[in-house]
Amino acid sequence: MAAGQANRLPRGGRIDRSRPLRFSFDGKSYAGYAGDTLASALLANGVSLLGRSFKLRRPRGIVGGGAEEPNAVMQVGEGAAARPNLLATQVELEPGLAARATRGWPSTRFDIGAALDSFGRILGAGFYYKTFKYPRAWWKLYEHFIRRAAGFGKAPDSPDPDRYEHRNAHCDVLVAGGGPAGLMAALTAARAGARVILADDDVEFGGSLLAGGDAIDGAPAMDWVAGAVAELREMPDCRLLSRGTVFGYHDHNFLTIVQRCVQEADAAAQGPARRPVAERLWRVRAKRVVLAQGAFERPLVFCNNDRPGVMLASAVSGYIHRHAVLPGRRAVVFTNNDSAYRTAIDLAGAGAEVAAIVDSRPGGAGAIGQRVKELGIPVLAGHVVSDVSGRRRVRGAGIARWTGEPWSAVEITLRIDCDLLAVSGGFSPAVHLHSQAGGKLEWDESQLCFLPGEARQPHDSAGAGNGKLSLGDCLADGLRAGKAAVEALGLNPPEIEIPATNESPAAPIKALWRVPAAKDADRCPKQFIDFQNDTTVADIRLAVREGYRNVEHVKRYTALGFGTDQGKLGNINGMAVLAETLGKPIPEVGTTTFRPAYTPVRFGAGAGESVGALYDPVRKTALHQWHEAAGAPMEVVGQWHRPRYFPRNGEDLHAAVARECLAVRNSVGIMDASTLGKIDVRGPDAVNFLERVYTHNVDRMKPGRCAYGILLGEDGMVMDDGVMARLAEDRFYLTTTTGGAAQVLDWLEKWLQTEWPELEVWLTSLTEQFSTLAVAGPNSRALLEKLGCDIPLDRESFPFMHVRTANLAGMPVSLFRVSFSGELAFEINIASGLAPDLWRKLMDVGREFELTPYGTETMHVLRAEKGFVIVGQDTDGSVTPVDLGMNWLLSKEKDFLGKRSLARPDCLRADRKQLVGLLSRAGCTVIPEGAQLIERTGQRAPVPMCGHVTSSYHSASLGHPIALALVAGGRGRRGETLFAAPPGREPIAVEIVSPAFYDPKGGRQHV
Amino acid sequence: MSERIARPHGLEAFFGAAESASRDGVEIALLKNRGFLNLRLDPRRERTVKAAEEVLGQDLPLAANSFSGGKRRVYWLGPDEWLLETGAEEAGALRGELEAALAGHHAAVNDVSGGQATLRLGGPEARTMLSKGCTLDLHPREFAPGQCARTGLARATVLLACIDEAPTFTLIVARSFADYLCRWLANAARP
Repeated sequence: MAAGQANRLPRGGRIDRSRPLRFSFDGKSYAGYAGDTLASALLANGVSLLGRSFKLRRPRGIVGGGAEEPNAVMQVGEGAAARPNLLATQVELEPGLAARATRGWPSTRFDIGAALDSFGRILGAGFYYKTFKYPRAWWKLYEHFIRRAAGFGKAPDSPDPDRYEHRNAHCDVLVAGGGPAGLMAALTAARAGARVILADDDVEFGGSLLAGGDAIDGAPAMDWVAGAVAELREMPDCRLLSRGTVFGYHDHNFLTIVQRCVQEADAAAQGPARRPVAERLWRVRAKRVVLAQGAFERPLVFCNNDRPGVMLASAVSGYIHRHAVLPGRRAVVFTNNDSAYRTAIDLAGAGAEVAAIVDSRPGGAGAIGQRVKELGIPVLAGHVVSDVSGRRRVRGAGIARWTGEPWSAVEITLRIDCDLLAVSGGFSPAVHLHSQAGGKLEWDESQLCFLPGEARQPHDSAGAGNGKLSLGDCLADGLRAGKAAVEALGLNPPEIEIPATNESPAAPIKALWRVPAAKDADRCPKQFIDFQNDTTVADIRLAVREGYRNVEHVKRYTALGFGTDQGKLGNINGMAVLAETLGKPIPEVGTTTFRPAYTPVRFGAGAGESVGALYDPVRKTALHQWHEAAGAPMEVVGQWHRPRYFPRNGEDLHAAVARECLAVRNSVGIMDASTLGKIDVRGPDAVNFLERVYTHNVDRMKPGRCAYGILLGEDGMVMDDGVMARLAEDRFYLTTTTGGAAQVLDWLEKWLQTEWPELEVWLTSLTEQFSTLAVAGPNSRALLEKLGCDIPLDRESFPFMHVRTANLAGMPVSLFRVSFSGELAFEINIASGLAPDLWRKLMDVGREFELTPYGTETMHVLRAEKGFVIVGQDTDGSVTPVDLGMNWLLSKEKDFLGKRSLARPDCLRADRKQLVGLLSRAGCTVIPEGAQLIERTGQRAPVPMCGHVTSSYHSASLGHPIALALVAGGRGRRGETLFAAPPGREPIAVEIVSPAFYDPKGGRQHV
Repeated sequence: MSERIARPHGLEAFFGAAESASRDGVEIALLKNRGFLNLRLDPRRERTVKAAEEVLGQDLPLAANSFSGGKRRVYWLGPDEWLLETGAEEAGALRGELEAALAGHHAAVNDVSGGQATLRLGGPEARTMLSKGCTLDLHPREFAPGQCARTGLARATVLLACIDEAPTFTLIVARSFADYLCRWLANAARP
């Protein structure tokens, strides 16, 4: 045997013996081959103990061969690249792969928690709920230990170096599952000319045929698979996704597939920029879906059925044929149906001794029973394996005669030594996606399984997933589903003959949900139903005794079907045991809900490329490069990045802002205000329309005139504000807040399109077209004149709150004489492509005036000094214009959106929170923004709050801090003292004052 | 009026200092000196449509998600909205002509040349690259030459047009998103 792989068969299998490789498990090095899974390589090396169970810390080994594996949950890789909670049965072996068992701290073999198993009797269902309830204050302590003991994998604590991507795809037919039925359906649809996506979670297509032994058209079945795959690959509109798990079936036939991508050996050497995609998330819109994911074999529920070495029969056959691994030397096969007989034949063929087939059915198997007899394998019909011996590995099976009576006690009369117990309790179709899509399930009493019933979306099920367990039936059902799909699409189905198979008829399965034991069900050794969650027959019976009846409640009380496993193995056995305990038929008990994801999906796959710089768009103004070159730290405003301040000579924020503020007050400053929303409003009904949505009298504005305007929601609350300019009789130009730009356009379009379609008005967003340069300060006029302006800028020719078109330094601009600083100011609108040029020219010419670029922080301070609000900072969606003292903006002569709400009693309350200014009594304290205001200090909590601070800055112009606040009944309380109470700090005494701190008469902006 | 679009930083990862580059089956080029007009009018008013078409010398496409070629491209943006792509030098004059011809009609013409960045995408893997961030079906039968759509690409809104079967696509995006989108494209162009 090569390099210690004691269980590796000398020949056969789909592994590549020319590519031996080494890997490690729990720090120990082993040998395997390319084509192995981590599970098959561990079995080849005779590693049977792979972890400890969730609650009882019992030793556990590999049970299955694919997505159903409950025990072999691995942490693969080290450090940042570690991937928690992978199933060893789905991990392809790679050179140097390092895996650890996720459960079994501090080590798999010496688990301190194993002592818990001795206390198993008191660790029944609901143990944690009952025990760790009191005293309440201790819960945090309990929780720490419970979480530590129960954990699955460990999330890496540094960024994931792997690269992920998303792909959107569309197809006529999506086939989930590439076994015989799926391949047949895909071939049928593709030959009809449909666009097909075929996804299979395995490395190779073939599904159950990969486990070998089948024949199609007289040749090995995998030959037929190879032919079908080759034909599909040739078709231009057919996409084959191997290693692709369809994990979510969402509304409107939207499905999600996660595809593990093959890593090239030299991938790491290419560096992070060329790192290949590790996983790809496919987002598929399919017109039709064929679900062909096959069926899961069920374990049988007997005492100590979780011992390593107890495996699903189909998995044993798979390891023999696919991986050339013989998981045991002396086997017992225990079944209630015919399929496991093939495993007995496979085992014998691979050189194992099959000590017995234990068949719970008194009549034994159908035609296959004869073949087993010819091989000399003893069959014990009408018997069960009631218990097994061995702890870290099965040592023997205790066998009893059984009359067929559920819950009867049996006597073990025969003990057979074995190191492998292959079990089959029948098959459960993988109905997960069908259920996720809203499809109903129907109980099939003859096959003892839930079958996909009525579908709610355009999908169909085929093959073993549809209860067609023989190969011939699978192929025929795949063809049927493929034809049905293309017919529904209006395509002509091709003529395809069902390939010939050579199966013999099987004897029917017989129900065996819980194998009788020597003692009654509550006192016998544990009979596991859900291996991953350590749920036993006794737990379910306890839940029923304690009053739980509904399957969803029992699930939550016993943890049945939780975890990465999602009940793939245990659910049906669990429901059947519950039904028997309740004395109800199984369909009446029903199933729990199946939800995405079908198997665990990495967070990285969900995030895709949206990480780092691509996490969210960064919107940049046309002047962004200048700001960056000037070293301005950026403030994130929605998706925009705006310069916050322009530090000089290592200034901090406060020093820079103080300098910038004084420059604007004393000479002239310039700000990039391009992020303001801008909307062109045109048409004969423009005035009429704007009258309805804005609160002020729009019709009184003459062309060339600007006005401050506010928009209210239907609730009367301030929604947005900005400047409205009338450019012509039928043409207006609106500005909105930076954050409100898209919302305001939507709001206006909504009213125009849905409520007032008769109004002749066009709205066009010009936010991106124009850049806005705000030039503010007493020298702003001189600056523009110096730069060269073709219109007079003096007070009489171009008064405050007016708009003009002009040529500035030879460039066409619109000039708005509006001011958000209270100073003489001009807002220049210029086509964005020309903005950098104009900005540079202004900076050149401005040297004479010490023109100072300023950022959003200075803008905030300047406007707060004037008591100008910022919607969204000083308002929060519950503030009316009256609260802000803007009654003068509310027209009495017309109706407008929100007007009626302002007359609601609540809007008229005298104690509504109103905008006020605050000055700290001590004079030098900047009150933290958001601080709550209280009437007096020294009160016991909870202290009544009468307002909060919305804006707070140090004012360099005034020489002391200022703040804006919303205070209950505040306007009538000028001169009163309140206390700002920031958490964890001494209360600050503040005086209520007018919000207009600077130039309250407003003379400076009119010069 | 010459249009100067600052080169988005995001493209450097893909083509360094060059204006266009081809790699891994994808070609990306930044188109300069493009002019754009936004046109709103009610297509049910035949006289208004005719007045616009006379100035343009070509039909306004009325079928959803299509564009008309000819002297310039006219993209359908909505039932009453079009985007006209012209040379940057021509945009101002064309706007004047349209406004004159549409005076007295219920229509709006706005020069939006300053608000857009234009990219040309091509190469055998162009569809694959776009499918990483666009949920539309870009199969040649579903999104054929002559079709366009205002749609999401990654987290930006773009106007995507299929120009020819090569395939060649034109991508028009709001200028503030150009840097982000170019970064995204440079990333998505990786195989």
